[in-house]
Amino acid sequence: MNFVAVDADKSAPGRRFGSVSGAAWLLLGLCAVFSVLAPGFLSGANLVNVLLQATILLLLALPMTLIILTEGLDLSMGAVLSLCTVVLAVVQIDSGSIVLGLTAALAVAIAFGLFNGLLIAAFDLPPFVVTLGTLGAAQGLALVAAEGRTTMGVAEGLRWFWDGSWLGLPVPLWLAAFTWAVIHVLLYHTRFGARVFALGGNREALRFGGITVKWSLLWVYVLGGVCVGLASLLLTARVNGGHPTVAIGLEFDAIAAVAVGGTAFERGKGGLTGTVLGVLAVGVMRNGLNLLSMPSSVQVAAVGAVVIIALWIDAARGKA
Amino acid sequence: MTATAIPLLELRGITKRFPGVLALDDVSLTLHAGEVHMLMGENGAGKSTLMKVLCGAYTADAGQILADGQPVRVRHAADARALGVAVIFQEYSLVPHLSIAHNIFLGREPLNRLGLIDHARMHAQARAVLARLNLDLDTQREVQGLGVAQQQMVEIAKALSQNARVLVLDEPTAALSDRETQCLFEVIGELRRQGVAMVYISHRMDEVFSLGDRVTVLRDGKYVATLRAGDATPDELVTLMVGRKVDMSYHRGERPAPGECLLEVRGVSAVNGIRDVSLKVHAGEIVGLSGLVGSGRTEVARAIFGADKLTAGEVRFAGQPLRSSPTHARQLGLGLIPESRKQQGLALMRTVCDNLLLAGLKRLFPSNLYQPGRGHAEGRRRIAQLRIATPGPRTPVQSLSGGNQQKVVIGKWLVAGTRLFIFDEPTRGIDVGAKEEIFRLIDELVRQGCAVLMISSELGEVVRVCDRAYVMKERALAGELGREQLTEANLLRLAMHHG
Amino acid sequence: MNVLAQNPGLALPHLSPEQRAVLLRLAVLGLLGLALSLAAPAFLTSGNLLNVLRQASLMFLLASGLTLVILCGGLDLSIGANVALSACLAATAIKGTGSIALGCAVGAGYGLFIGLLNGLMVTALRIPPFIATYGMLWILHGVTYWYMNGETIHGFPPEFRMLGSGYLAAVPVPVYLMLGVLLAGTVLTQYTTWGQEIYATGANTEAAALSGVPVFSRRLAVYAFSGLMAGLASLVFLARLNSAEGDMGESLTLQAIAAVLIGGTSLFGGTGTLVGTLIGALILTVVLNGMNQLGISANWQPFITGVIVILSVLSDALTRKRQGG
Repeated sequence: MNFVAVDADKSAPGRRFGSVSGAAWLLLGLCAVFSVLAPGFLSGANLVNVLLQATILLLLALPMTLIILTEGLDLSMGAVLSLCTVVLAVVQIDSGSIVLGLTAALAVAIAFGLFNGLLIAAFDLPPFVVTLGTLGAAQGLALVAAEGRTTMGVAEGLRWFWDGSWLGLPVPLWLAAFTWAVIHVLLYHTRFGARVFALGGNREALRFGGITVKWSLLWVYVLGGVCVGLASLLLTARVNGGHPTVAIGLEFDAIAAVAVGGTAFERGKGGLTGTVLGVLAVGVMRNGLNLLSMPSSVQVAAVGAVVIIALWIDAARGKA
Repeated sequence: MTATAIPLLELRGITKRFPGVLALDDVSLTLHAGEVHMLMGENGAGKSTLMKVLCGAYTADAGQILADGQPVRVRHAADARALGVAVIFQEYSLVPHLSIAHNIFLGREPLNRLGLIDHARMHAQARAVLARLNLDLDTQREVQGLGVAQQQMVEIAKALSQNARVLVLDEPTAALSDRETQCLFEVIGELRRQGVAMVYISHRMDEVFSLGDRVTVLRDGKYVATLRAGDATPDELVTLMVGRKVDMSYHRGERPAPGECLLEVRGVSAVNGIRDVSLKVHAGEIVGLSGLVGSGRTEVARAIFGADKLTAGEVRFAGQPLRSSPTHARQLGLGLIPESRKQQGLALMRTVCDNLLLAGLKRLFPSNLYQPGRGHAEGRRRIAQLRIATPGPRTPVQSLSGGNQQKVVIGKWLVAGTRLFIFDEPTRGIDVGAKEEIFRLIDELVRQGCAVLMISSELGEVVRVCDRAYVMKERALAGELGREQLTEANLLRLAMHHG
Repeated sequence: MNVLAQNPGLALPHLSPEQRAVLLRLAVLGLLGLALSLAAPAFLTSGNLLNVLRQASLMFLLASGLTLVILCGGLDLSIGANVALSACLAATAIKGTGSIALGCAVGAGYGLFIGLLNGLMVTALRIPPFIATYGMLWILHGVTYWYMNGETIHGFPPEFRMLGSGYLAAVPVPVYLMLGVLLAGTVLTQYTTWGQEIYATGANTEAAALSGVPVFSRRLAVYAFSGLMAGLASLVFLARLNSAEGDMGESLTLQAIAAVLIGGTSLFGGTGTLVGTLIGALILTVVLNGMNQLGISANWQPFITGVIVILSVLSDALTRKRQGG
């Protein structure tokens, strides 16, 4: 894949809408709009709520950033997440053990990550179709797994992961921060991270890498699996149980957050800072619309519209 | 550099065969530390193949490679790197959104005790390497924002950081401005002082004589001569590159006198970089478009055909102005047989018949109702007419040989009722027998009153087949040669920075 | 050089690869039917078989538009939501004005409109098809939910319901629609110049453009067609369910994709037929119906559909590799 280098003078990164500064402006703009339109938006309790809700989305959006950097996509995250909440709840309730439940959920999530990764890395299949198929499979499994089983009412110890706090800050924030830190190090301070950028930016550059290239692609999807497993812990704790359709569509929010945050679908451009801002922006949008009594459907439509507008502006500017 | 010093690298008697073609025939080359060794020859002379053998992309069928006097085996890219051979490609192998330093060390990033990338050390080492080239670039910058020349520098730095002792530069100044070229020359001077040997492939005479220590000329896969740059003259080099036994089985028959002016290109500039190109093609003529690789010939073809938008000038076909649209071009009677027929000329998974009919659908079926029976009949007619060797019209076109695939592309435009054919490298990748057939076909087209604009890198072809030729140089027109002046030497002279 | 390449088609000179693919799938369908009639006695009743035909017809209507888009090298993930929104809008029109004709016009019209939007995003805005139509999916989803506001519209005039649940000469009405679309679509793809251009564009867009094919218009047209088919399908769907609500048709997109893929259309464009899609729709419907007959929980359906999609893509990719594509 050859790329035409841009003249040094035209390289100002802030030009793209979907760049870090674009996301920051969007976030500020949304906050401004909602603080005027929606009563109670700026209250301390509400802002903490926004942050809390955002942690689950962040756990999905962080690995999604890496996946999109490699010019891939994972549409199955929402369905797998739902499945994992069911698995976690069922195993925990049946066995009484939180550890067992969490292990089961992680195992399922990682299995799906491996499956996606293998098909995409080893067979070169288009990611969106593979993960669309996995989406269906996971969705079905979630429905089947929840059938006729008690999935609500998990142990107090589990609920602590959502309600509890440690050193004054809510546990979910710690989990999200920890995940962000780990992925940040992986992406920016390891050879693996460099390979992620190369997979999207110029696979030719890894010409002499051979097998390593395919492995890196696989690990990117497995990483997604791990994060989905962690997210299922938070989500189950929040909802006090598992539900087969609880997280349907969350992957779309994650993709939106990543796109708005400046990571492009081609060429390996982007990063985590933008994703964090993008997650906050999506979170604020949903929260604000919620306060305005707009149903979830409108919120989703709004998110969708924002993504398309962002991509459109990029296409109009960047390719001019 | 004394004559008795052991060469840094020596290629002896390298022979390389591909199916149907002897790409290299007993070619030898020696490289001394700190020398800039120019490698010259026409397109197809074997320069790229020789370099690919050197860097491990190909394995020679016969011959030896010696490093510091000792025989070595170079079977993979890794072997070549271990020897210190690095190639600077035209398509850079850089990752756009990583920093300069990171690109230099991609895959070999220095690690700290925790196993994480040691950024401080990486940037320091990167700065050191750049300093060896007297370059002052901010190593934190993303490669994406660099100009072409600077990216090339990063590539060179990358090679150096791998302790390259031999650098292969393939037309490095092709995309550079004069000022950038100067910078590159300074870097090359610096490398020379540090004892790096360089193989420099170039067509630019002024570069050859200002930079080169020695010049090796290849021709048709054979080694011709090695001269000291100081002892040679440009004319000598041209003569060495060009003189060859020509295969004269194709004879130009009687050609009708040129008829009406079918194609008129006036002062055309386009988004693909060509500037102020003007030319004319008359019915019954075969006009050549010559020039070095990268001189803009394909771009002229695409601009005429409407595949790339014009920024200035106009194109007229039989007096009618052409819109920048291949659909319009086709309607008026133009056809383009592109350079890479597999990527741009054919739908490989579709049948021979499908491909033959594609451009002529409107013409054959004005009511837009496609009748397979008539379609196949037309397909069979063309297969017979062009003598396309295929089991049948319903064979997927990808199972045909190169020559026959090319005939399908030509046939496609015949079905469309084309009157002016633009050929871009019509005989690339086609064996000798099929080549002659293609030329006969082109001849036949012209005898029936059509016109042909033919882009070709094979000077011999242009001289044999064309009535006259235009020559491109660096995306502008260098000149025109009439029938009497149409010789290989003249074509080459116009195409290069010379006379 | 390699003129007389091993072309398996030479062994059976009367059958092209496409025809052999169709035969293969018919065989699969036959085997499935046979197995199911042995395993579940209720499968082979006329009532059930007609039901299967009805279901498959609906699925085919939707999948036919998708087939054209994929043939042309694109993708449309928004069709399920398109069906939902068009159905809800049509429902409102019928209930509001009492006019079936208006309702049909609204449903088909909105479907077409959305198809055009998709097409413009892909051609004019140059957004990659999968993300453009995926975004559209969620937008439509959201709009439908908001529009319906959790309510359901039901109870439509019997003349309208005929479209989905009625019979004509003992054959379910949707089957006639299916046959009509199959006929028209096959004529369009196999017997018009536009069809040839669509195949060529999907097989190699660049070569098609350089052969003078108006690629922009063709691609826009197939997306519009896909939208129109979704609109049409929405009417049949509405008529059969006799009610409209926000979350209708959620599984339709995945099922349509599965039907197209099983039918032998390659995701990479340039090969495939509507007949193949029809057989694919039949096979998928038989599988899902069979699962019902065997008492397997409906919750397994998305799983099976997902697995089928993955297997089809895998098989498609491996076939292309074998052909050196």
